[in-house]
Amino acid sequence: MASNDHYVIAGNGPAGNAALNTLRKNDPESRITIISDESVGFYSKPRLCSYISGRIEEDELFIHEDLSFDNTRLRLGQHIQSIDPDQKIIFLSHMEKINYTKLIIASGSKPSPSPYMTQFMPYLKSITDFHEAKTHKQCIHDAQQFLVLGGDLVGFKFIDMLISMGKAATLILYPQAFWPFVLDSDMVDRITASLEPKGIRIMVNDRIQSIQDADGGYQVATLNHARNEIEEHYCDQVFAFSGMTPNIDFACKKGFDIDHGILVNEYLRTRFQDVYACGSCAQIFNPILKVYQTTIGWTNAETQGEIAALNLLGANQVTRLAPQKYFDLEGVKIKTSWWDDTDENPNPDGDF
Amino acid sequence: MKSSTQFKQDHSSASSPYFSDDVRDFSQVEKSIPCQEACPAKTNVPGYIRDIYEEKYGRAYEINRACNILPGVLGRICSRPCEEACRHGNDNNGDSVAICYLKRSCADLKSPMHRIIEGLYTPTGKKVAVIGSGPAGLAVAHELAVMGHKVTIYESEEKPGGMLMYGIPEFRLPRNLLLSEIENILRLGIDLHTSTMIGKDINLEDLHDIYDAIVAAIGCMKPRTLEVAGEGLENVYNGLDFMKMVNAGQTPYVGEKTVVIGAGFTAVDCARSAVRLGASQVDIHMRKTVELMRIDAHEKVEAQYEHIGLHGLMQPNRIIGENGRVTGIEFLRTRLEQTDRSPYRVSVPIENSEFVIPADTIIAALGQTPDKEVIFNRAQQSLTMEGYFSAGDFVSGSSDVIHAIADGKRCAQEVDHYLTGIVRKKKMVRIEPCSTTDRDRSFDFISRTAMDTIGLSERKAQLTAEVESGFNTEQAYEESKRCYLCNLRYEIDPQRCIYCSACIDVMPKDCIKMVKGIVFEDSGAYQSYETSQYWNQATAISIDNSKCIRCGKCLEVCPMDCISVHKTELVEVDLASESFE
Repeated sequence: MASNDHYVIAGNGPAGNAALNTLRKNDPESRITIISDESVGFYSKPRLCSYISGRIEEDELFIHEDLSFDNTRLRLGQHIQSIDPDQKIIFLSHMEKINYTKLIIASGSKPSPSPYMTQFMPYLKSITDFHEAKTHKQCIHDAQQFLVLGGDLVGFKFIDMLISMGKAATLILYPQAFWPFVLDSDMVDRITASLEPKGIRIMVNDRIQSIQDADGGYQVATLNHARNEIEEHYCDQVFAFSGMTPNIDFACKKGFDIDHGILVNEYLRTRFQDVYACGSCAQIFNPILKVYQTTIGWTNAETQGEIAALNLLGANQVTRLAPQKYFDLEGVKIKTSWWDDTDENPNPDGDF
Repeated sequence: MKSSTQFKQDHSSASSPYFSDDVRDFSQVEKSIPCQEACPAKTNVPGYIRDIYEEKYGRAYEINRACNILPGVLGRICSRPCEEACRHGNDNNGDSVAICYLKRSCADLKSPMHRIIEGLYTPTGKKVAVIGSGPAGLAVAHELAVMGHKVTIYESEEKPGGMLMYGIPEFRLPRNLLLSEIENILRLGIDLHTSTMIGKDINLEDLHDIYDAIVAAIGCMKPRTLEVAGEGLENVYNGLDFMKMVNAGQTPYVGEKTVVIGAGFTAVDCARSAVRLGASQVDIHMRKTVELMRIDAHEKVEAQYEHIGLHGLMQPNRIIGENGRVTGIEFLRTRLEQTDRSPYRVSVPIENSEFVIPADTIIAALGQTPDKEVIFNRAQQSLTMEGYFSAGDFVSGSSDVIHAIADGKRCAQEVDHYLTGIVRKKKMVRIEPCSTTDRDRSFDFISRTAMDTIGLSERKAQLTAEVESGFNTEQAYEESKRCYLCNLRYEIDPQRCIYCSACIDVMPKDCIKMVKGIVFEDSGAYQSYETSQYWNQATAISIDNSKCIRCGKCLEVCPMDCISVHKTELVEVDLASESFE
């Protein structure tokens, strides 16, 4: 095994860390750099709401990986601006260049705010990473009345958290926030039937007209197009969860094949030599169904991270489908991989 | 005329505007104003956005109209290459300026008493026939009429506008607005004959007897077909025919499930029209990837909002039907492969990857090609005959409206030269000293202003209801602040600079550099700086105008007042004029 390799992993989530552990185990002499745009180490994003509500302590959120190896360098708080796969160079936004011999892209997904909401961004909070969770924790405890916009998978965990904390909330549900999966009217009815008895008011597709500061909180005007009615809401906090999209801006227009995510074959190889992608940033070719699939979820990410690392080291393993393929959204089953024609028995115990 | 060097020397310390044909000035404008460079019509984007900031909407409209004769139309349906190039959208700079929305603003917000400005030349006595009244034909006709030629347009359809009238849905482009801007063109004395097909109602030979020149601007009206079995089944449409029916007020059958094949604007227009015609599920399928769709991000968002699915990497294999009607479509999965023309990628089908999607309606929106038989078969003429010219998509193949308008203007100048033997105009760079940028750093942190739209229920309730509401004056003002004003050129005078580095200390971007040399292109234009991190190697401190965001901080701190600001503007000047001013 070559010992002068420099492996770079772009992303410090479950896929990136599974790849890191596999590389260390199988090529202990190599140099490994893991790059994260967050300023903290590896932690469990699915447990952020538990941390906010106080069910777990901050320390319990973190997954304490052993970083004492001399050959491993963790680069936190560093944003990848672009990749030159031909020259094998990563450009960081602070103008540093990192050369690699082999690269695994495991950058996960990022919020995909609706363009209609961009003008209200200064008023909208979200919970997409630890920094936001820590920043907003106290204000969530202090607030009583919430307005929640969008309601993607993370948003529904947030709603569950508010219910468990005894908070009052109005959810303006945008069925297309789950894109490429759109909730149909039957699903919306079932979600509404599940949440309203728990004290959550549901509005569907109402649009924000204005948000203004008012008495320490916010005065929000929403428009219901069907009834052509404007409604005024007072709330202490406004949170927006409008879907996720692969976090791959740095790869766009750099020659990578991209559909929704970075296209990789069943061995998780991109079109460029020595560059692999895995987790929710990748769209993986399924050789049985002959289709490129996007996957989400911790289990999928870990499995793919391990396989990407093994293949980078010379193996030729085909990606396994993780057993978990459904997420339970208030009684509605949401697949963790789309464009998938197989239909397994829905498992309600999601791993988000 | 003075040489470029003389111009430069004469005006280096000028306090009044001057003109330059120095290749370095052209190069600087090209590199420093990416929005203008990306626009096929070379619209002075920072110029009109500045006028919107000053609430001079009519003036902003005329700046647009100088380059493109349909500002209100393009402000709604332009493919927006300028926004893709806008430096506000670069890494760590935020989102690009909403240039297209602002273009629409100057059309919407100008006074009802606004007067169109036309710099008319004296009549030449020459007559020109323009075949086709789409964007290219209208641009040719307008430009030739301005130059003093008598122009007659022949249009085979009942109404003028070509693809604008028949290809683009009314919910994106209101017809009263389109007709109003066409009327502004025709008012120059242009005759319009509609419902007149060349080769059928009038022969090309007859036109040659009447006119001194003929311009074919008949666009691309021959639809590409799927070339798969089942294409003749009922409820299989091509995209252009489907849109023509919709725009004629007909209601083509769409059923419950509509499948659109294509990756361009027409595909999205067909899909969005199908939603309004009552299809409950509409999906767009394409051979390549969603990322490679030939539409802007804005159109993708609107399609998503209307619950239209976008699915890449599949190509039609056959259309399935029962009793002569469509029931489904079989696709093959595809993958991308390298071509000889890197970085272009081609899609290739994957063997044994067939799958079927049920569908009531199939719309093949694969684009169009020029239908040259329309004119040439009957007259047995060739493309190279004397006095014959062509413009727009008919020449280039299917493109977009702004390219067609730009090409129309190019063609008109060619025709004018053929008819008169003279070159009327020359491109130059107008350079005007500015005492202040009047641009606050806080403007850089303003979020892009979203466009208000009507809701989904209203869109479905009325097929033709315009989706976008346009900016009001406050929104236009706020958005106009975001423009970096890349037409302002910042320069450090090396004779006066004391290398104090105060400007470098305050720069928010990596835009001021210690330079040890400059690399020149063969043309003499600046290519790039040779920078250095060491003071002992630096021969000058220089501002990289392609990175500068015109915050003015360097100007504020310079103790020697050695930083100058000039407004640069690409202009066309009359060669016959004694003075350019």
